[in-house]
This record gives sequence, C-alpha cells and structure tokens, in this order.
Amino acid sequence: MGLRDWLAAGILVTSLPPLWRLWRGPTLWDRLAGAGAINVRIALVLACQASLGGQGALLDVALAYTALSFLGTVLVARFGERGER
Amino acid sequence: MTGLLAGGLLLLLIGSLALVRFRDPYERLQGAGVGDVGGAALVMLGLLAGGWDASGGVKLLLLFFLLFTGPIATHAIAKAAFVRRHRPGEGGR
Repeated sequence: MGLRDWLAAGILVTSLPPLWRLWRGPTLWDRLAGAGAINVRIALVLACQASLGGQGALLDVALAYTALSFLGTVLVARFGERGER
Repeated sequence: MTGLLAGGLLLLLIGSLALVRFRDPYERLQGAGVGDVGGAALVMLGLLAGGWDASGGVKLLLLFFLLFTGPIATHAIAKAAFVRRHRPGEGGR
C-alpha cells in the first residue's frame, strides 16, 4: 500500500463516527453536522485520489461536490429553521 | 508533505471523535467544525506540498473553498438550532 491508499483509508475510517451520528443523532442538527463532516471527507478522498493517484479530472469533481454539499447543508438548515418537519 | 497529511488526518480523527463523544448539538458542531476545517486545510496543504503542477490552481481553489464554506455551514446549522429554541444541554447521546 502506498501513501495514497493509506491516506484514503484513514480518511474513510474517520468518516465512520459521523456516519453513526448521521444514523442516530437525536436532533436534525446532529444529523446535519454528521452529513457535513462526511461530505468534507468524501471531497478530501476525491482530491487525494486526483493528486496522488494520477486521475486529475477528479479534482474538478471534488470542487463541484464541495459546492453542492455546501448548498445542500445550508438549504436543509434553513428548511429546519422555518419549522416544517 | 507526509507530516502535513498526518496532521490533517489526526485533526479529522479528533473532529469525528468530537462528533460522537460530545453531549449536545452545539458542542458537537464546535468540535466537528474545528476538526473538519483544520483537517481539510492541512490535507489540502499536504497535497499542494507534493509539487506545483498544472492542477495546483484547482487545489488552491478547493483549499480556500473548504476553508470558507465549513464555518458558514456550521453557523447556518447552529443558527437554525438556536432559532428553533433548542436549548444547550438538551438532546444528549
């Protein structure tokens, strides 16, 4: 295993606790925090694969993924703020 | 390069443990925000330290994008929780 594999495996292992928080967070805010943390880790794995694995196109995918995940998090937060469950 | 990547991985691990171990949503948001933003910045800096090539500008853009959107998303979630009258100390475990 090279550096790329170790880094990707480590980032994926650190995305397991946010997955647990997303599964059973008692409130909507806990679930949003878990989803945001998982999105950051997925973007980092994509960037790592693009930079160390030699697939440069994945860097643009990571950029678009980050923008869309930010939009989704803010939209769901505003949706929950208005109180429509 | 390896040191930056290892430091970023450590910060990501701290952030995810904070998301599990803390007791109410505000504490979890704070711990996860610190770990995510710092860990993402360190990992992207480590990838940038591997050498400047044609994709360096996109990496720098992704670094600054993660650095700016993380606190905004955390603030949006915390403000929504506060507006919905979620008191600190409720919603443990």
